Parts: sequence; structure tokens; C-alpha cells
Amino acid sequence: MMPVVTPEISTQHNTERLMTSNQMAWFRFTRNPSAVIGAVMVLSVVLAAIFAPILSPSPQSAGSFVDFAHRHHAPSIDFWFGTDNVGRDIFSRVIYGYRVSLSLVVGVLGVAVPFGVVLGLMAGYFAGRTEFVIMRFTDVMLAIPPLAMALAITAVLSPSLINAMIAITMLWWTWHTRLIYRIVKAQMSEDYIEAAKVAGASHAHIMFKELLPNCVSAISVKISLDAGFVILFGATLSFLGLGVHPPTPDLGTMVSTGSEYLPEFWWEAMMPGLAILYAILGFNLLGDGLRDMMDVEV
Amino acid sequence: MSTPILEVSSLNLSFTTYGRRAQVLHDVSLSVSKGERVALIGQSGSGKTVTMRAIIGTLPMPPANIESGSISFEGRDLLNLTKPERNRIKGTGISIVLQDPLLSFNPVLTIGRQMDDILRYAEIRLGQRQSASQRKALILKTLNKVQLPQGVQIFDAYPMMLSGGMRQRVLIAMALLNKPRLLIADEPGTALDVTTQKEILNLLNKLVKDEELSLLLITHDLGVVREISDRVYVMERGHIVEANTNEEIFSNPVHPYTQKLMACVPALYGERVREVKNDQPGRPKIQVAAITKDFTQRSGFFKRTWSSVRAVNSVNLEIESGDVFGIAGESGSGKTTLAKMLLGLHLPSSGQIKIDGRPINDFSDAKEFRKLIQIVYQNPGSSLNPKRTVTQQLAVPLTFTNHSKASIMTRTAELLEMVDLPPSYASMYPHELSGGQKQRVAIARALSVNPKILVLDEPTSALDVLIQNTVIDLLLKLRQELDLTYVFISHDLSLMRNFCNRVAIMFRGEICEQGLTRDVFANPKHAYTRALLSSIPVISEREERLKPKITTAERQAVLASSTALT
Repeated sequence: MMPVVTPEISTQHNTERLMTSNQMAWFRFTRNPSAVIGAVMVLSVVLAAIFAPILSPSPQSAGSFVDFAHRHHAPSIDFWFGTDNVGRDIFSRVIYGYRVSLSLVVGVLGVAVPFGVVLGLMAGYFAGRTEFVIMRFTDVMLAIPPLAMALAITAVLSPSLINAMIAITMLWWTWHTRLIYRIVKAQMSEDYIEAAKVAGASHAHIMFKELLPNCVSAISVKISLDAGFVILFGATLSFLGLGVHPPTPDLGTMVSTGSEYLPEFWWEAMMPGLAILYAILGFNLLGDGLRDMMDVEV
Repeated sequence: MSTPILEVSSLNLSFTTYGRRAQVLHDVSLSVSKGERVALIGQSGSGKTVTMRAIIGTLPMPPANIESGSISFEGRDLLNLTKPERNRIKGTGISIVLQDPLLSFNPVLTIGRQMDDILRYAEIRLGQRQSASQRKALILKTLNKVQLPQGVQIFDAYPMMLSGGMRQRVLIAMALLNKPRLLIADEPGTALDVTTQKEILNLLNKLVKDEELSLLLITHDLGVVREISDRVYVMERGHIVEANTNEEIFSNPVHPYTQKLMACVPALYGERVREVKNDQPGRPKIQVAAITKDFTQRSGFFKRTWSSVRAVNSVNLEIESGDVFGIAGESGSGKTTLAKMLLGLHLPSSGQIKIDGRPINDFSDAKEFRKLIQIVYQNPGSSLNPKRTVTQQLAVPLTFTNHSKASIMTRTAELLEMVDLPPSYASMYPHELSGGQKQRVAIARALSVNPKILVLDEPTSALDVLIQNTVIDLLLKLRQELDLTYVFISHDLSLMRNFCNRVAIMFRGEICEQGLTRDVFANPKHAYTRALLSSIPVISEREERLKPKITTAERQAVLASSTALT
């Protein structure tokens, strides 16, 4: 065997800068067709809700407007989604309906997520008795059927958007508590937690400055997936007459009243139903895309 | 020279990820003859594992892509074989011994079941059938070959019931089951303690001779290479830069990279050893008196019974100001528990620790204590928060010792300079830094509040040898500049020889020997210390001669008492 010695290889390192993790995540996201489609769908729903007065062909249809000349019109150039039993334009009502749905999402998640996350952080970080109390309380809340809870609340209070929101919020935080609890438990064995303790950091610092940043990607994926389910649950409540009341345009209520005219005037239930499907599908595709992009398990 | 059993010629391989192509192997050629032991060495990231995976055919393609070259095994070009043909060679022609004996088993299946699966599937691929009892007989015979005579018990045991060394032996037995002609060993024994590793290397050497195997060894440990190879290939960033016989490589390395690798291995004996001295001894900094730590755990139904493990048993230590005090020992010897007690993270079950003459529980002011003693962890990947920037992490100890915003800013800049990092790194996240740079940040964080004592918990064991040296040099420089006392926890005795002025050897929770590093290494008294020192792989014949000599029986005795079959 002849000895082999090659001349010294040039030490020029990879001069081109490597991608940052954000660039890599963006690469993964944009190469994932369903994620991009989901993002476009969610964006269209949000924009439609924000610019409802400009976009809707007949803004007055959102209120208690009556136009018996045009009742039960099938979808056409003038009325894209048809008209309902009092002649209101369903397309306009759907756009306004997204406003109600999205405000429900913001209201519910705006309260449930911070509450659930803080409880999860505390349960995971403090362990022992705190953990036991918080997690068993969470288990109890998880055992309550959501619809029964909503029925109970609206029976005590009155059916309205705010009360529907309260009912959903009261049960929704549990999922975030469990998610964060699990992540924090896994992070607690990492040395950086002990390093922070040795550095003399306070409990609040470790929970909110050290642990929380490591939960952010999981929370954002969860929120995106949640949004679709909150819309669905809100629509279910309205369909059952426990949520938003007429004439406020709500997708669930529209499906409910439209279903009285099935199958003859099918568009009256079908179009709002498809609108619900569209929004939920968008949020779910986006959530799945984010999950792949940030490489987290939810 | 006989015809090569494995021949890789001008292999070029690239990876395409995120739309960018990176060539990882450049014209790699190597060959292994029948009965020959060949080692492939290099730093992590040099391409040695990619080469190995290309040979056994487990690289995912894409992203990997073989651009040119060939790999032939016993005259057949592996790259042109169909998938079933290629699979038939796995295990029967080429077999592999995996690196990590802890992770390579399925924890819920018995060893026998897992070995039987390997045999059975190989038979299905080859179209032969043997009865279950024939297979069992073969498994027991193979276990015997790897010096596990109690084969029947091992056959029925679950992986967790075996010690690390036994699991490594079972892994070797698994690789031998189908009578391969070529054995590939990926970092054999590196996950094990040195005394056990030595046994495994001896076993591999014996097997290669007895079974007429060829061996391809993939490792970064030059000491291991010297003991277990006939020829060596040195790999640097995808190139084979030097290939020669074992004796030539070690006595006369030609390529600058090989020379650099050799120079980085800390010497155990001889003139390459760096003596570290304490210039002003005599001032006790840490006094540990008869300290014991029991870990108790409630178990059983209704948690009524208590079981207890003694991790540290009546340890006495005196560490003087300016010392680099090494605490050596194998995994599970209690050295990390001892370190955590010094930091006040665990309370001793009995005994007392005094720092600067004050008992540790006298420090009612936690801030004062934190300014006195800090720690650098083993793995900077875990000890730095992945979601916070370098500045944010350096600021934590300062924020909690009442520093103002402005003084934190100047101090973090100062700290980065102290550990030789450019100021632009302040806003980076840990994943943007290399392992060595991360460890520098961790050192800077520990130093931020000007502690007098640093506990170094294996600070270089997660790093490559080349990087390890720069970190050690930095630590020595900082010790001079800042007048620090180090407590250095490690299992790497060669490193300890070159970094510590005093050492204590821990064995099963007790300190079995302590003294000046020079004396302990020159004249080890305790049987365990002797076994440890004699097992360390070294890179020159001179050092080999200077190591204490012990017989196999003596080492077996030590092993038997340190790793019991549970």
C-alpha cells in the first residue's frame, strides 16, 4: 500500500452565508402548497371581514332589511349566493358573518390562550402541589361536554354573542394548559433552566423569559388550528339558537334558517355552510403548514 | 497484498437541501483487504459517517446524490445492484456495529427476540429457513463468541437489565449473527467508560483474527485507532488527505491536518504533558468535610416504602485558592452530584461544605453566593436557551445582581471580548454559533458576575478535539487574568493530566485517591486508578510503556465491582 498524501486543501470555508433558521422555515412554508393555499384562504376571510362594508354588494342586507321582490332568488350574476326568505343578499350576509365569526375567535382565544398558557407554565414549572391542583382542575374541565356547558350558561344568562363567547372560553383554555404543561415539563430537564437558577433568576423570569419563548411556535400553530374550531363551535351554538340572534348575520344562524327551505331553496343553507367550510379549511391548512414549518408537535 | 474485499473509488457525493447543493465527499477512495483492519478518522463533519452510510446504502436519496465513483464489495459494484440484491448483502456480507449501545435497542423486546428477528429476516431475504431452536442455538453460540457466557439469561433479558458494556457486546454479536465478511464499527465503545471500552476493543481485535473478518473502523479517537487498526485514512472536509499504515501515521504524520489532529490529543505521559501549577497555594477556598448524599425515592403501592441510593459517600476535599482541581470518575461515580452540592443545588444528607471558610448554608444572601461560585455545563446546546440571544443570556446573572441597564450593556461587551468572540455575536441566537463558540458564551455567562470559583462540568466533552484545545487554552488564560479557582469534573484523564494541578479519583461515590496530578499519574496507588490509567488509549509507543501495567484479571475485578448486572 502506497502512502497517500494530498496537498493541503484550501481552507476557504463556506464563504456563502448559510441560511438562517427563519429563511429555512420560510423555504419549507413556501414549498408546501397546502400551507400557501391555507394562508391565502385565511387572508381572504380576514380581509373580507375587515372591508365588509366596501366589498359587499348590498351592505343593507346585513341588517333587518327586507326586499320581498327578490326573495328566494337562486344564485345569479346579481346575487352571487342567491337571496334568502326576505330577499337579502346571502353573499353580503356571509361577508358580514365572517366579522361575527372572527370577533368570536379573537374574543375566545384572546382570553383562553393567555389564561391557559399561564396555568400551563405554572403547573410545569412549580411541579408538586401546584401541578396537581392545576392539572386535576384541567382534567375536570375537560370532562364537561362543551355543548352541555354552553346550554347551561345560556340557560342561566341569555343567548347572545358575548355569552356564547364566555361559554366557549370557559372550556377552551384547558387545551392550551395541557400543551404548554407538556412542553415545559420537557424543557425543565434542560441545563439552561438550571443555569438560570444558578444565575439567581426569579421564578417570573424563568417562566416568561426562558420557558415561554420556547413555547411560542407551538402556541401559534395551536391558535391557527383553534381558530377554525372556534368558528365551527360558534356556528353550532348559533344553529341551535344559543348564540347570535337575528338579524345579526351569523353563519350558523343562516344555515339554521336556510335549512327550513331545503331542498327547494338549497342555496340558503348551503352557501353559508360552504362559507364555514372555507374558513375552517383555510385555518386548518395554515395550521398544518405552520406546524411543518416550525417543526413542532401540537 | 490480497485483493480488496471493499473498494471505494473516487466517490463524489453531494447533498441538496433548501435548493442548495453542497458537495460533501470529494474523490474519496479507500480499500479494505481481507482480514485487514482499516480506520477512517476525522473530525465531526468531515464526511466519515456519510462515507460509511454510502457503503451500507442507508443514505436517503434525495437529498443525497452520488455524482460519480463506485463502491465495490467482493468484486460487485454495489451502486448498480437492485434494491433486493443490495439488501441481501446487508448483515450477511457487510455488517455494522452501532455507536450507542443505549439507543440501539428496542426497550420493550427481549434481547433474544431482537437477535432472532435479525436472523429470521436475513433468512427470508436469502430464501432459507431454520427452525426456531436452530436459530436459538446459533444466537447462544454467537453470544459466547463475544464473551457473554451467560447466554441463556441474556437471551431472556430486556435491554435495560444489561450494563452498557454488555449491551455493546450484544450489538457486536448481532452484527456477527449472519457471518459477515466485513464489519463496520462506528465509534465503538466511545459511549462507554474507558475500562469497558478497552475490553470492547480487545474483543473486536480478537474477533477479527478468529473469524477472519475485515474491519472498517469509523472514529475520531486517535488512541482507539492506534490500538485497533492496520491502516489509517485521514479525512478532512470530504477529502481523504492522508492514507498510510498505522505505524507510519503515528510515528511520522505528513499532512498538516494529521499533524494538527495528533498535536491536539492531550498526552498522558512524556514531554508533551503540560504541567499546570498553582502559584500561590495554601489558601483554602473550598472545604468539604465528610459529605454524604442519599437520594431517596418513595416507591411501592401507596408510596409507603422508601428506597435510597447513596450517590456520594463521606467525601473529604480541600480545594485551595488558584487550584485547578480535577474530579475524575466514570459515569455514575457521583462526581456531578458532588459538583451540584458545591453549588448549593443539592443539599448534602450529612457533612458540611465551607466556601471561603463560611458554611454554605450560612449564605443567607443568595446573591452573594452566586457571585462566589458559578458553573459551566457539559453541553452548551442544552445550557443555552435556544430562543434567546447571546446578550439576553449574558444579561441574566447581571439583572439579578442589581446591575443597571447601562452597566449590563458595557459588561456584556466586555465579556464577549474576554472569551475572544467578536462584538457582532451579541445579537445572535445559539443555533447560529458553532459548538465551541456556544461554549465560550456559556463561559462568559458564568463569569459575568465575577465569581471566584468556576465549576466546569465536562466543559469540552461535547466538542471536537481541535475545538477542545482552544477552549482549554481560553480557560487557562482566564484563570491567569481573573485569579479563578476551577473545579473540573471529567472522565477524560488525559485532558485532566494537562489541565489540573490536583486531582481526586471518584469510584462508586467515594474518593479513592487524591493528590497532585503529577504524583497520582506517575504512581497510582488504588487498583481502580491503575485500571483507569492503563485503559486509556494513547497515541504513542512511549506513552504506552509509561502507563501502569495491570493484568486482565485485575481489570476484570474492577469492572465486576463497578458494573454489576442488575
